[in-house]
Amino acid sequence: MMLIDCKNVSLGYENQIVAENINFQVHQGDCLCIVGENGSGKSTLMKAILGLKGTADGHFHFGEGLNGKQVGYLPQQTTAQRDFPASVYEVVLSGCLAAKGKRRFFKKEQKQLALDTMEKLDLLPLRQRCYRELSGGQQQRVLLARALCATKKLLLLDEPVAGLDPLVTAEFYRLIQKINRDDKISVIMVSHDLYAALHLATHILHMHQKTAFFGTKEEYLQSDLYRAFSGGAAHG
Amino acid sequence: MVDVLQFFVAHSFMLRALVVGVLISLCCALLGVSLVLKRFSMIGDGLSHVGFGALAIACAANVAPLYFSIPIVLAAAFLLLMMSEKGKIKGDAAIALISTGALAVGVMVTSMTSGMNVDIYNYMFGSILAMSNGDVIVSVVLSVVVIVLFLAFYDEIFAVTFDETFAKATGTKVSAYNFLIAGLTAVTIVVGMRMMGALLISSLIIFPTVTSMRLCKSFRRVVLTSVGVSVLCFLVGLAVSVRFEAPTGASVVCVNIAMLGGFALLGVLRNLRPTAKIYPLRRILTVLVVIVLCCVMLLPFFGRVESAAPQRPVSVVTTGFAPYDFARQVAGDDAAVTMLLAPGEESHTFEPTPQDILLIEQCDVFIYGGGESDAWVDDILSSLKGSRIVVRMMDVVEVQEEVLLDSMEGEADEAEDGEKEYDEHVWTSVANAAQITEAIRQALCDADPAHAVAYQKRAEAYMAQLKAMDKAFLQLGREAVGKSFVVGDRFPFLYFAQRYGFTFYAAFPGCSAQSNANPRTIAALTQRIRRQNLPVVFKVDMSSGNVAQTISRATGAKVLTLYSAHTITAEDFMNGETYLSLMQRNLDALRAAMV
Repeated sequence: MMLIDCKNVSLGYENQIVAENINFQVHQGDCLCIVGENGSGKSTLMKAILGLKGTADGHFHFGEGLNGKQVGYLPQQTTAQRDFPASVYEVVLSGCLAAKGKRRFFKKEQKQLALDTMEKLDLLPLRQRCYRELSGGQQQRVLLARALCATKKLLLLDEPVAGLDPLVTAEFYRLIQKINRDDKISVIMVSHDLYAALHLATHILHMHQKTAFFGTKEEYLQSDLYRAFSGGAAHG
Repeated sequence: MVDVLQFFVAHSFMLRALVVGVLISLCCALLGVSLVLKRFSMIGDGLSHVGFGALAIACAANVAPLYFSIPIVLAAAFLLLMMSEKGKIKGDAAIALISTGALAVGVMVTSMTSGMNVDIYNYMFGSILAMSNGDVIVSVVLSVVVIVLFLAFYDEIFAVTFDETFAKATGTKVSAYNFLIAGLTAVTIVVGMRMMGALLISSLIIFPTVTSMRLCKSFRRVVLTSVGVSVLCFLVGLAVSVRFEAPTGASVVCVNIAMLGGFALLGVLRNLRPTAKIYPLRRILTVLVVIVLCCVMLLPFFGRVESAAPQRPVSVVTTGFAPYDFARQVAGDDAAVTMLLAPGEESHTFEPTPQDILLIEQCDVFIYGGGESDAWVDDILSSLKGSRIVVRMMDVVEVQEEVLLDSMEGEADEAEDGEKEYDEHVWTSVANAAQITEAIRQALCDADPAHAVAYQKRAEAYMAQLKAMDKAFLQLGREAVGKSFVVGDRFPFLYFAQRYGFTFYAAFPGCSAQSNANPRTIAALTQRIRRQNLPVVFKVDMSSGNVAQTISRATGAKVLTLYSAHTITAEDFMNGETYLSLMQRNLDALRAAMV
């Protein structure tokens, strides 16, 4: 089942085109990693998918049952959040906001969903803890739980391991892989960590100098772009 | 405790301040949580400056300040949001632009119009007396709206505050909530700044949240604690202002500072590492801090709200120094005379404390000028219990319109559009002083018939002295025909000049609180001194004398002081100077200026 079809999308800020002719599809169960150097437009593409930013040209088609608001999003952390006085439960529950709709206050189902998600990510013991007192890895897990509350189909992760140490990073990737494989939730992840991306991904979108390569991991590994990027010798 | 609480309840103006203050504190705390956590604290500060500018314009245009300011501040709030959302000008720069811009407009408007200095001062620093019944209604409606909206959209407000990007990505209308919060903040600030002052109102938004963040670990607790802290600090602050005769706004902020200090200490104790030296003592220390904090918060409620009036059968209260001196000459030892304006206090920005109001309520005779400096008196008199004889000096003598002398700055056209401004410094003519003394004698005789003979005797003796002084000035006036004097200052001597025929050239009208003239005025006065070769440029007592000194530097003329006797310096008061001795100084100074 196709979730997103991106056709001939161009991105840019203020009259300046950053990337042109981006084409890719995401099907259920896919894990698409978006790689590329800083400034190649990875985060901009992510924001365009979420509707936070417009595109310069082209558009996204969302598959049935996905209207662009039922996605789970894990944004890069802002400095304001690092000292925000909120309990873990409050943060996770705020992911259910879209499901709440026009009603005021959360219903029992939404509270239960938050608790179930927290259980899945081993967050229940931290439930009453203050978000700002958690370690970086724990904070990312809380934000992941919040994103999961908001979706059943598609998760968008923007540099989810930035600033985490290698051990916690590996652990976090395992968690994402588990969610992707066991729950059949598609993942779109922006990362500048090419090797980790290759480990997780089923598909790769490589953005490079205004062009973009899209294909399965296997196709990517055969591509000239990959050879050039990895120094040629890595998989030769 | 009873005393302070009774004082709250017994006076309608205190009750209004109480209601408005509690509700405003509550709204500020709720909105503040979101603003502080979104790093928008300065929006409150920026809007209060816009509020000040709007109030200045409203005062000048003679329209109801509240209804004029609310739409303007609302517009500014939305403009701020739009500027920072579009991202062309960053949030902090946008706030600084708007707030300093509005302040500058406010100051411009204030400087171009006079006769509203007292009002402006009140809006800068707040006045618990400024609350009208209309304000009470507005603040009740406002707080109901804020509370209902905040509760109804609690989950959305949390989401938008914690993570705007995520909320937007999941379909929450982020900018709608931002506008909602900014709009409510704008209205809250306008209503609150009348009591807290434009300079201090934003502290009500920031302090409670920052305080509760020291201890609270969840958003819900921060919200609840902020509301509690905010309301408590307001109540304690109001009690402090009643008990220690302090301005309300500043008292509330000081209590907030104490509260923040206490919470910060508790936060440090709670997060103490087990390796810290004082770790074993943390329980005791925590209890200690809590006890001290509770004591500090309760302290202002104990003790009596005392009036300083000595226990004499008859008491007289006056506003300024001149009527105080007249009254004490007549009263002798038979009645207690109290002056509200403490020696050394600037008369035109005077704001009565709750104690002052208590003094007025309990006195037998109350004497005041009735001009612009006493604008607060009518509000107070109508809300007081009991009865007293009131002498309004401007009713006793023939009043003169405040005029602009040649070279004076000011709003020449204001007098034409409606209200006439009467000069309030009636006592500067010694003849008027005698008339006022006679009115005071009459009031004292009515209030205390038992001592009528003694009052009569003292009044007669004093009036003879006044008459002699009057004669001396009349004599000087005849000698000064064709001569002129330059006052590089405001000019409270209208009655004086007219009675004795002196020709004065001054920089500002009588009540102006300005102390810096524009260059044209200074040039005109300087030229006059040069042309006529005048040896002296005058300044008025209690003024900075900036203008006079500038002129003196340019011309070499000596700076001498003229005394208006509106108020008196602490030193002169201690030395037992009187109205007559100050007038004697004026006589000598004018004579010196005639050579």
